[in-house]
Amino acid sequence: MSEVQRKKYSDKDKNNIFDHEFMPHIDSMYNFAYRLTFDEDDAKDLVQDTYLKAYRFINSFEKGTNAKAWLFRILKNSFINEYRKKSKQPAKVDYQEVETYYNSDNVDYSMTSDLRVDAVKDMLGDEISNALNSLAVDFRTVIILCDLEGFTYEEMAKILDIPIGTVRSRLHRARNLLKDKLRSYAENMGYDTEEE
Amino acid sequence: MDKNLNTSSERKQNCSDENKCFELLESILDGEGAVDSKEMLNEKLAKCQPCFEHYHLEKVIKEILQNKCTKHMVPSELAATIRQKIQELK
Repeated sequence: MSEVQRKKYSDKDKNNIFDHEFMPHIDSMYNFAYRLTFDEDDAKDLVQDTYLKAYRFINSFEKGTNAKAWLFRILKNSFINEYRKKSKQPAKVDYQEVETYYNSDNVDYSMTSDLRVDAVKDMLGDEISNALNSLAVDFRTVIILCDLEGFTYEEMAKILDIPIGTVRSRLHRARNLLKDKLRSYAENMGYDTEEE
Repeated sequence: MDKNLNTSSERKQNCSDENKCFELLESILDGEGAVDSKEMLNEKLAKCQPCFEHYHLEKVIKEILQNKCTKHMVPSELAATIRQKIQELK
């Protein structure tokens, strides 16, 4: 996020910002933390640490600007720096490997093209959630930020410290991976994914 | 727009640049398209079957992600714990 003029807020201002601009996002923050850590206690710790950092560095937040994006950026960085190391989730496919694979020109789109709209419409919330949760963290994150939280590409670029072009291409790759998962769910539900 | 292009048999069955087209379609779906993207979208969907299918599938997936994805309830004591820790900081 761009360098902002450091403020000197009074205690009253600080409390005001904290209560009216930071705390209203606690639901979204907890959901994001849970989808990163898959653990209730880790998610709680992560949200708590994020809010404490936000308070400590409140003078570098400009009142009235995008508090949600500012908080999400702190949470994401805390996760990378602290929680990812001790995360309880099993090892995932190496991100770089997947990114390179989906970046190549000869991706076989027929893998996902047979997933039907009707099959997706009939899926349950848990199935969608599980499919999302099974993606490697960098892909999962862009879908959460874009589709669940409604951030713009520009906001996502700031939260993730990547160029907008990378946001766009990573989202596209993440969606292809998600469709692979959904297709296998559709097959298990007995949908015929091969024929009209 | 040519009305005859509105059935799948009239659309071309292969997209010459799927990767680029699909990324563009997704940007439009995400509300990130340019001002004239609505027109471009209609034209593209009328002419290209893979683009038509991709757009509608991504649209439904985006909708179910928004509407059905399991929400985790925030533990009730979390907000109070945070406030208490902040009091201790002061």
